[in-house]
Amino acid sequence: MRSFAYVRAGTVEEAVAAAAADPEAAYLAGGTTQVDLMRDEVFRPARLVDITRLPLRGVERRDDGGGVLVVGALTTMEELAAHGDVTTRLPLVREALLRGASPQLRHMATVGGNLLQRTRCRYYRDPSTACNKRAPGTGCAALDGHHRMHAVLGTSPHCIATHPSDLAVALLALDAAVRVHGPDGERAVPLGEFYRTPGSTPHVENALTHGELITHLEIPLLPPEARSGYLKVRDRASYEFALASVAAALVVDEDGRIRSARLALGGVGTVPWRVPRAEELLRGARPDDDVLRAAAEAALSGAEGRPDNAFKIGLGRRAVVRMLGALARGEEPDGAARGEGR
Amino acid sequence: MTPPTTTPTPPPTPARLGEGIDRVDARVKTAGRAAYPTDTAYPGLAHAVLVQSTIAAGRITALDAAAAEAAPGVLAVISHENVPALREAPDRSASLPPPPLRDDRIHHHGQTVAVVVADSFEQATEAARLVRVTYAADAVVADLDHPDAQHDHDPFGTDGGTGDVEKALEAAPVRVEGTYRTAANTNNPMGPFATVAHWEGDHLTVHDCTQGPSRTRADLAATLGVPPEAVRVLAPYLGGGFGAGLRTWGHTVLAAVAARQVGRPVKLVLTRKQMFTSVGHRPDTKQTVRIGATRDGRITALDHRAWQSLSMTDANMEPVSHTSQSSYASPNIATRDVQVRLNVPAPGSMRAPGDAQGNYALECALDELAHELGMDPLELRLRNYADEHPVTGQQWSCNDLRACYEAGAEMFGWERRDPEPRSTRRGRTLVGYGMAGTSFFFYQADCAARVTVGADGGAVVESSGMDIGTGTYTVMTQLGAELLGLPVGRVRMVMGDSSLPAAPSAGGSGLTAAMGTAVHNASRHLLQSFLDLVRDDAESPLRGVALDGVRAEDGRIVRTDDGRGEAYTAMLARHGRDRLSAEGSAEAPGQKGAVVPTGPYAAKFAEVHVDEDLGVIRVARLVTAAHCGRVLNEKTARSQLVGGTVGGIGMALLEETVTEPHTGRIANPTLGDYLVAVNADIPRLGVRFVGGPDPTNPNGTKGCGELGIPGTPAAIANAVFHATGVRVRRLPIRIEDVL
Amino acid sequence: MVNGSAAAADGTPGPVVRVPVSLRVNGAERRIEVDTRTSLLDALRDALGLTGTKKGCDQGQCGACTVHLDGKRVLSCLTLAASADGRDVRTIEGLERDDGAPHPMQEAFARHDALQCGYCTPGQIMSAVALIEEGRAGSDDEVREFMSGNLCRCGAYPHIVDAIRDVATGGRRA
Repeated sequence: MRSFAYVRAGTVEEAVAAAAADPEAAYLAGGTTQVDLMRDEVFRPARLVDITRLPLRGVERRDDGGGVLVVGALTTMEELAAHGDVTTRLPLVREALLRGASPQLRHMATVGGNLLQRTRCRYYRDPSTACNKRAPGTGCAALDGHHRMHAVLGTSPHCIATHPSDLAVALLALDAAVRVHGPDGERAVPLGEFYRTPGSTPHVENALTHGELITHLEIPLLPPEARSGYLKVRDRASYEFALASVAAALVVDEDGRIRSARLALGGVGTVPWRVPRAEELLRGARPDDDVLRAAAEAALSGAEGRPDNAFKIGLGRRAVVRMLGALARGEEPDGAARGEGR
Repeated sequence: MTPPTTTPTPPPTPARLGEGIDRVDARVKTAGRAAYPTDTAYPGLAHAVLVQSTIAAGRITALDAAAAEAAPGVLAVISHENVPALREAPDRSASLPPPPLRDDRIHHHGQTVAVVVADSFEQATEAARLVRVTYAADAVVADLDHPDAQHDHDPFGTDGGTGDVEKALEAAPVRVEGTYRTAANTNNPMGPFATVAHWEGDHLTVHDCTQGPSRTRADLAATLGVPPEAVRVLAPYLGGGFGAGLRTWGHTVLAAVAARQVGRPVKLVLTRKQMFTSVGHRPDTKQTVRIGATRDGRITALDHRAWQSLSMTDANMEPVSHTSQSSYASPNIATRDVQVRLNVPAPGSMRAPGDAQGNYALECALDELAHELGMDPLELRLRNYADEHPVTGQQWSCNDLRACYEAGAEMFGWERRDPEPRSTRRGRTLVGYGMAGTSFFFYQADCAARVTVGADGGAVVESSGMDIGTGTYTVMTQLGAELLGLPVGRVRMVMGDSSLPAAPSAGGSGLTAAMGTAVHNASRHLLQSFLDLVRDDAESPLRGVALDGVRAEDGRIVRTDDGRGEAYTAMLARHGRDRLSAEGSAEAPGQKGAVVPTGPYAAKFAEVHVDEDLGVIRVARLVTAAHCGRVLNEKTARSQLVGGTVGGIGMALLEETVTEPHTGRIANPTLGDYLVAVNADIPRLGVRFVGGPDPTNPNGTKGCGELGIPGTPAAIANAVFHATGVRVRRLPIRIEDVL
Repeated sequence: MVNGSAAAADGTPGPVVRVPVSLRVNGAERRIEVDTRTSLLDALRDALGLTGTKKGCDQGQCGACTVHLDGKRVLSCLTLAASADGRDVRTIEGLERDDGAPHPMQEAFARHDALQCGYCTPGQIMSAVALIEEGRAGSDDEVREFMSGNLCRCGAYPHIVDAIRDVATGGRRA
């Protein structure tokens, strides 16, 4: 690890000024991504700006529209998962949080940092290999390497790395936004416009510019009658990233028709993957098998597999059908996957 | 400086042998006070970090250490260009790795090419990045099926069998044949291997992650060219090994070299990534099993061939197909092993080496035969029970596998199984039952121990061997207590120090038999020494009594004829002695007689749940009935079976070390990418011990440290077939295999 | 604003930057000076001699280094010592009572043989103590899930569940 200067900021303005002044500065919050990648020599900042003492921790409810949770970016994953409104009104967020990482990591990792976590691609994390995301122009060793965990949606010939966040998938489905404080002031960015597919610039992952700091998340609440959940498919029963995941919310009218649908996928895309086309197919329809399968087809539309990960396309479809069907029927989506019955 | 005193404290209460007393080292371990090698500190300690190759085959054309040497705090950079001469140690085991940094040639990705020593760990780590190595790469051969790979046939001299398998297969009314693959697995003990080396003049003290301090001492002395008496290896505790500590690896040698060069004590800790390339692994295998049988399920032919990977420079003792020579009765048996030379890190032992892979293929093939015959898999095994060694005709020393089958089936409720695959479901969950048997190999090596009774009437038992978590501290304490007639709380076991009487490495499930026999003999010798002490002692009721006329109880030796006797303390005091010691040894039993020593046995029964849509596989139940001879401590023995089973579940469903065929690079060298089972993967695991003591050794024991693994993958694979109707002939079985 | 010395030069290894750190460790104030790169784990082990906390992976993937930071279980390998300045740290060494008697969780681990090699054990126990405080030891399955951040390669998981449930139920689990 490169030797670095350490600065602890007391205010947001102080933090942004310290980071903006040094092109080799980076923020340190929970550290679960930042320190990990510094140890792997992927990040080599000359200066760390410690933001852990900034007053950006906690959840407030704003009652405009259907209600919005304004979440301080330094709120930990565990803290957000335990919040009353998240438990009652946003099961998909709670489940996405609690199925991520481990309890220890969830006590450390902040929700702001969670949205910025980097891919688990082992080529990205090994500086001895070619990786356009880590070192632009060097190529992508994953294309012909081991890529079972890699993305099938939003890929490019330059990068097939999967975005690892569970939380971002749930938030994307909810039309959440981030509030950002930068050298030029504040702005809000809807999550749908935040992430960048790799294209020819895989190193550009999101809309942030150097020195910008996520200060808050804005998460609209679901209507009380909505059913929502997060299904995560993985090899290990816990403490693993998704092979495929589905965040979904449905409001089903009394006549059995879907009034509104929200659907996003994780584990299969280079970015958290929202599927407006599938949501349209569901809206106004009855959730029978044909409709769910059509939505699943739409959700994985355009997916491209490679030898090790092509199975994710079918798996993603099955996960969509399972999640939507369970919500429509009011069931748990993953009994066996969670070790039911022992 | 001496390491902190963290000797185990036995419980004060008396306990009988076999009883499941708490392990004697539980208190120091739960308090965080057990001193593992990596916890060792010395004043002036310097830190060493390895630099490893980023190609798998070729040569180093240039190694530029200038930037590293100029970095803050750096004391030395040692590479093949400046390493002092290291000797090829005498090849006693055919598995000692060649000395590190031998030349400029690269044989595998992740080969150590330099070691950087600095004042601090952080400085050494950063400087290691600055060592610039330029390579000329050769073509990589890193795939078991690579057409250019060199094949070593019958590398262990174990190929063989009986009868004429080909002819019998041709004549058999029923035949099954399958090709099975098992992935490479990495031991991944939780404690990264570490060495702290400290020279005082020409004397070297090494705190090392080893499973055999005596072994490491001999290897180090030979490699460094110093007398064995000049080396002391200490390892009172080890953060797991699972076979990785059975060899003296290059990093241990380099820590000693570095410490001598910089004139300071040096600590070298492998990174988790380096744990994948530097301390062995379970080699991947390809196996073909062909079985011929009669329609009523009598096996008439069994042919088992195995190919496994091996590095370019090492040997590795790992018979895979050999288990088929001793598992089932058949007039015609043939087994053959091949090792395939690849540009991969040296494989080595990993819990149940060879048997773990071989048993999987054999027991799945049995399941396929049972399905083909429409016969219950358990009935098929009973019908082909090996009442004697199928190849040699020798009698077993003690074989209660039949009792394992019966007890396991009863515990599990096997009779409730509907034989039809894909017949049992709960909602979207497919339920499968599978079983497998295990006839584990026998292993025992020579061992010595010393037993001392002091003036306070307490005893110390000493042997250089290791408790790697198996419970050796505890069972030897219990054994010493029983043999000397003392409460467990009055016996202290001291281990993990090469200066003590030499024990073999903790491996092959053989240490309890070896050390237990040595402790038994030492205790008998000590009783004799006490009798010798009072032979002409008119005040002693034991005067002139022979060893077979006494027993030890309540801190005394007493005559069996009239019950008279006296305390150890009284005899010592009267003769002005502060202690009496005796040594004992045990030799490995021969295996050529009419009776062959046999290893432990087990039967395993598994229930798996498979999500019909998502392919997610979870083990819902798994029970083991085991024949381990006499169990010295029910609690720690149970933990061995449970723990091995957890490893077997990982092998079956999760663990795979992925080597890229075109680069030889390990693609997943982290605990986030190489998946070992977590708590949520593991259901309640039933274990029952059955069967009698084994007469091969005086304590009646068989090993139980590895028995949890073999059988577990096959039982799970067979249950997955029963659940889904899909026969997956590859480990680990993954979601995509059953979708 | 706390400022830890000058920036390192671009790309090449800069001078070592050291910062003072004050921690409350197991109830006692400890002041040390560390390299900014030093993890809380290495600071505990090397600077403070508290070697009960173990390094298993140094990557946040095993849980062996679990300690309590301001009352919450965290991974000390991914926590920079500098960033922990002013915080309260509890390690395995701080679990025993003042009279040296073991914590009930330590006793339960011994009783249920919830350890073998013992290397992951301090992290397991720190995690288990926190688990009870979090109120997540209500069923075997809940314990399994919320102890899944602590790997045990010896495979003591079922006995770890037994030990924790024993403590959680006030000893009603034999």
